[in-house]
Amino acid sequence: MQRRTPIFIVTSSRPHVGRTLIARALTEYFCAQNRPVAAFDVNPDEFKLIDHLPAYTAAASLNDTRGEMALFDQLVLEDAVPKVVDLSHQLVDRFFQVMQQIDFATEVRRRAIAPMVLFVADPDERSRRGYAMLKERFPDLALVPVLNEHVQRVGAYRANFPPTRLGGGPISIPALSPVVRSVVDRRNFSFVGYVQKTNDRTSELYEWMGRVFISFRELEVRLLLGEITPQLRHSA
Amino acid sequence: MAKPAVILVGADKGGVGKTTVARALLDYFIAHNIRTRAFDTESPKGTLKRFHPDLTEVVDMHSTADQMKIFDTLPHTDAQVTVIDIRAGLLSTTLKSLRDIGFLEAAKKSQLTFTVFHILGPSIASLGEIDETAAFMDDAHYILVKNFINNTSFFEWDPATYNSYFNKIKDAHDITIPKLNEMACEQVEVASVPYVSFVANKAGDGEPGNYSFVLRGYVRHWLGNVWAEFDRVKLIDMVAPEVQRKGAARQA
Repeated sequence: MQRRTPIFIVTSSRPHVGRTLIARALTEYFCAQNRPVAAFDVNPDEFKLIDHLPAYTAAASLNDTRGEMALFDQLVLEDAVPKVVDLSHQLVDRFFQVMQQIDFATEVRRRAIAPMVLFVADPDERSRRGYAMLKERFPDLALVPVLNEHVQRVGAYRANFPPTRLGGGPISIPALSPVVRSVVDRRNFSFVGYVQKTNDRTSELYEWMGRVFISFRELEVRLLLGEITPQLRHSA
Repeated sequence: MAKPAVILVGADKGGVGKTTVARALLDYFIAHNIRTRAFDTESPKGTLKRFHPDLTEVVDMHSTADQMKIFDTLPHTDAQVTVIDIRAGLLSTTLKSLRDIGFLEAAKKSQLTFTVFHILGPSIASLGEIDETAAFMDDAHYILVKNFINNTSFFEWDPATYNSYFNKIKDAHDITIPKLNEMACEQVEVASVPYVSFVANKAGDGEPGNYSFVLRGYVRHWLGNVWAEFDRVKLIDMVAPEVQRKGAARQA
């Protein structure tokens, strides 16, 4: 069976919640399995994802129709290449507005494409509202809260980000210690490269990657279940 | 046999998006399975014909032979609806000659249904045209169209002024054509296909097209809004009540 092409849209309502880190790790999660992947860096001024992963990433803008075409015309391709979108908090509204105007949801249903929004949570009220807005406006979208333990007290606000019908409950991303974080943030650092070099499977970073990749694996399983559940019901 | 319906699409000025409305109408009727033919009065080349070549014939409204081609065929044509895209500036003239050939009289006797889509221009003068046109509209459906498809046109008149004109005419409807993304608009022009074909990604010859998904999405969204306006004024009821009743029966 031809599997649906996943699109992971990593976004947040607030800056500095680890959004780009998660988009990077997710892109490299596919690289680590020798699977193809295409990443899109949707930031108004400062491109970060493309600095880290230039070979896989295209910069995209939503300033004009041409920019919208460059992004969305790629996202609707049924080419079995998983897509990762790093969507800046400044462009969330614009992105989903365009998505609604061009009726992205209908096209996605018609094609074998499975979009999933990873919403990186934050205790701020704006995040609660941003999440609730997406949940209400796009009930057919698989929306998943991401609790990054690096964000202060994020666990206490778990109730702000209730599970969704198609996305399920939150996934957790463990915090990295400041030293490791500074290594990871170096421009030429690559997760895959690190694993190839290290022999120490007990290192903090190795364990972090293990946990994060298991979470990503789970997201893929959720998408797959969303795909086959109607068929299972049908055959039952 | 159903009563034939004639729809004039006109404006007293060019460049107000008259043909856009005619195209959206043709798409709308085709989608509702209503047999439709169209006349393009932009003789000799034709604009509407470029988008709907199968349905459209180019005519010269000044020529008696061409007038006969349109109106004498009305009782025999198997098309339920005849859409006539009136060349800019000729709306009042056309209405006068329709009166002279007894067409308006036939509409009065309910032998046919007559609908005018009057596309308003951005100038105050354009509102003056409403009065002039309304004089002929006693037995017709009169639909005023505010066209925002290319937002570049800035409307000089305010709602109060507009309403003072609008309220003078009994039984007039008004509809609004929303803005369409410029690049999408341009690409449909370049493709020279009906809006519906563009949305379905089909080229003029029926082969699969290669249009941007984003632009197709914009056109789909826009066309949906335009058709919702046609639905709102119950256009199908006006031009093809039988079809409407059949549709209702199917639903019941």
